[in-house]
Amino acid sequence: MTRGNSMLAAFLWLVIAFLVLYPLSILVVESFKITSTGGWGLGNYLEFFRDTYYLKTFGNTLLLSSLVLLTTTVFGVPLAYILARYRHRGKTVFTALILLPIVLPAFAGVFAFIIFFGKYGTLNLLLMDTGLIDKPVNFIYGHHGLVFIQSLHMLPFIVLGLSAGFTNIDPCFEEAAEVEGASGFRRFFTVTLPLCTPSYLAGAVLVFLWPFTDWLTPLILGQVDFLPSVSYINIAYHFTDVHRKYMGIVAVVVSAVICISLFLLARWGVEKKKYTGLSKGTTSEGRVIEPSALVKSGAYVYMVFIAILVLLIPIVLGLAAFSRRWTLEPFPTYWTLENFRLILLESPGLVKNSFLFSGIALIFGIAFGLPVAYLIVRTRVPGKDALDFVITLMLAFPGIAIGVSYLLAFWQDIPLAQYWIIMPLALFARRLPYFLRMAHSSYLQLDPSLEEASEVSGAGKIRTFFKISLPLLLKGVLVGVVMFFIMAFQEISTAIFLYRGGWETLPIGIYLNWHRGMEFGIAAAMAFLMIVITFILLLIISRIGGGVLKAAWGAAEK
Amino acid sequence: MAFIEIHNLFKRFKDVVAVNRIQLEINKGEMLTLLGPSGCGKTTTLRCIAGLEKPEEGDIVIDGKPMLSKGFVQPSKRGIGMVFQNYAVWPHMKVFNNIVYGLKLQKISRQRIKERAQQVLKLVGLDGLEDRYPSQLSGGQQQRVALARALVSNPKVLLLDEPLSNLDAKLREELRFEIKSLVRRMGITSVYVTHDQAEAMVISDRIAVMDSGNVVQIGTAQEIYKQPANRFVADFIGTMNFMSGEVVEVLRDTDQVYARTEFCEKMLCQTLDSTAAAPGSKVYASIRPEDVQIFTEPPQAAENVFKGTIAHKAYLGNFLYFFVNINDTLIRVQVAHYLPQEEGQELYLFLDPQKCIILS
Ligand SMILES: Nc1ncnc2c1ncn2[C@@H]1O[C@H](COP(=O)(O)OP(=O)(O)O)[C@@H](O)[C@H]1O
Ligand SMILES: [Mg+2]
Repeated sequence: MTRGNSMLAAFLWLVIAFLVLYPLSILVVESFKITSTGGWGLGNYLEFFRDTYYLKTFGNTLLLSSLVLLTTTVFGVPLAYILARYRHRGKTVFTALILLPIVLPAFAGVFAFIIFFGKYGTLNLLLMDTGLIDKPVNFIYGHHGLVFIQSLHMLPFIVLGLSAGFTNIDPCFEEAAEVEGASGFRRFFTVTLPLCTPSYLAGAVLVFLWPFTDWLTPLILGQVDFLPSVSYINIAYHFTDVHRKYMGIVAVVVSAVICISLFLLARWGVEKKKYTGLSKGTTSEGRVIEPSALVKSGAYVYMVFIAILVLLIPIVLGLAAFSRRWTLEPFPTYWTLENFRLILLESPGLVKNSFLFSGIALIFGIAFGLPVAYLIVRTRVPGKDALDFVITLMLAFPGIAIGVSYLLAFWQDIPLAQYWIIMPLALFARRLPYFLRMAHSSYLQLDPSLEEASEVSGAGKIRTFFKISLPLLLKGVLVGVVMFFIMAFQEISTAIFLYRGGWETLPIGIYLNWHRGMEFGIAAAMAFLMIVITFILLLIISRIGGGVLKAAWGAAEK
Repeated sequence: MAFIEIHNLFKRFKDVVAVNRIQLEINKGEMLTLLGPSGCGKTTTLRCIAGLEKPEEGDIVIDGKPMLSKGFVQPSKRGIGMVFQNYAVWPHMKVFNNIVYGLKLQKISRQRIKERAQQVLKLVGLDGLEDRYPSQLSGGQQQRVALARALVSNPKVLLLDEPLSNLDAKLREELRFEIKSLVRRMGITSVYVTHDQAEAMVISDRIAVMDSGNVVQIGTAQEIYKQPANRFVADFIGTMNFMSGEVVEVLRDTDQVYARTEFCEKMLCQTLDSTAAAPGSKVYASIRPEDVQIFTEPPQAAENVFKGTIAHKAYLGNFLYFFVNINDTLIRVQVAHYLPQEEGQELYLFLDPQKCIILS
């Protein structure tokens, strides 16, 4: 029994060692390789922190992170407050819309906003047509555009955490402040907001880390002086200049170290600030208030504004997907299904690969995630907490770090990267935490006495698992499965380093088509297709139960 | 004129009427308890006094000033201190900051605030703990912080919502007396909410018993115990034998009636409210277990003597309960613990007509 558990733990550790620890250690080791001498040393790091260019990149990234965090906070706090506290119509719809970016691929937003806000994009053309401006306004190219796009993408993480915080804190804390004489803003800033710090912090760290992870948005906006983009360019474009490649690896390691450290720091902060005894002691449903008509209309305008920005993504991509030659006009004029014909009939490989790789990754994920959840929740096998820890850390790990480390680790000694199986393996390693969290939390809710009753009746552990635990876990597990699939389906950061001819997935196809220049119709159609597929999957989740919101929550709990 | 007057207070949540047009008057310096089972509207009433709920109808007058009828007065302007059921001690602030939170909002010098805080900390027995966080305090200490916070600004009215319900039994009993003497010493008019009858009887000057949003009786602990207004009150406070039946005869010029009950044709009973009992009205003849007398031989009394057998005997430490079966009705009798009778033995019960009361 315990022996079986220990063996299971050993096996799972082996998998983690092979698929996570080994490649990452190779990545770190390689970063110490000095090309000029062929030896090893700190040289690359010294150069990195002395070179004004890399330092500038580093500073830029930090600045961008701070700006994105600032923007999401300034916009997210009121939004979370409105969603959590005001009684209003269409609450579910607005919440779902505002949280939508969590499940949309990051690049979908970039493309949509370039089409809409670009130099000769819809908005500029419309403004010029009406004569409000006579030269295009630069809405999007530059740091401001970057901040805007990344903020909109990460806004849900702030909103989700905070609105849950606003809903869950016991109303009596604020009522006590009210009785003590603190009204309005003062109460909010001295009591409400401080009590929500843990929920805020959990989301804020992910927001802050995003600019250290997202290489694609800066690249597409022509802003490459950021750590992840520089890493990508150095590694992917400069394979002839080996030294630059190693500097890229150093940049990857530096980003990864920052991500991990901040993530751990935030977790520690959340633990420390987690106020026990915040449970509700009253009958009330939290403080839902009926604001004055003026405030309420203001809140509506605000929510509609954010919702429109989010909705622009599928709408603009949809317009581009069903048209061709859409340039220098505010709206498309030539409608066609040609883009979809090209994707689905001419090169069906992309869609097929996407489903195949994500599907296989998913099977790995289930086969690995369920036993891990079992070990963590139900046993006291030594090393299980460390296992949980390592897997959770994967949430903070930049995708680019995993992609590069796989490339380095599985090229020569273990030539796995020469076979297509590397693609699902990488997706599996990258997105594993998504499934595990879900399985983990549903396992926690399963009363152990149900399993014990089965064992007392004479069923073995394995039989008990399949006959009792699994059926009861099914709902949570299914939601985790679909979420995992969605996230694997849109993964690009790891895949971009590993794909070879014939292994392209939809996200890679989008990236390549975009790169080819004016042919963005096909890229848009692919992105639109992905959004549609994501929507269908989300619909499945909400059918399973738990609703889209809960599914999104599963993702946000990372 | 009473210090707090509640007129016709009505509050509902959607379809649930939480407070149903109640009238209450609370005198200056008095501790009044709202007592009743969970869900009867105690908290809602208290929150209306605090201004945390807006009632649909009625008015609340505190110290001569109407809180509702001349425009809604915000909680912060009512001069109240409040202790919440689960303390509501802010976990992100140290004890000191918790206590002086309200003072800081007033225009008081730092020195004065400090002094005042020290005074109150001493008063509630927390001196020396001002730099702790609430998570470093026991439940009882957190409760004292809540109390200190409520008292620090010398409120006109102190409101306490089941302040002891989250503590263990021993501490609860201790703190009852502490709160009582503290509040009495400061002379603050206070409203105390509890569902624990023993707590209510110990702590209050007067008790208002509530049932489904109504105040059914107001009085001192003794009045309520001895002369309950109805079956609900009698049942909620202490233990009572209820024998359902009807009035068959009203004795002239006395407060006594004859009632027919489930196990006897005639029982002589006392009415507390002589107008209520007309012949034929459905009533409960009620008697407390400690008022039932038992005899092994038929006693001398002419009325209300019944023969029964002991169905169960229960040992409760300082006394025994006999459950005596009279014609298939079980009467609970509290007797001294050394009585030798066993289950199955026969006994005579005397239900003293003075103690046997008629309730509706
Ligand atoms: N915020 C609320 N929303 C809806 N119903 C409520 C709310 N607060 C109290 N109630 C209802 O009002 C009734 C009285 O509640 P309450 O005053 O809390 O009772 P008590 O404090 O005596 O237990 C109950 O039926 C309760 O369910
Ligand atoms: Mg209550």
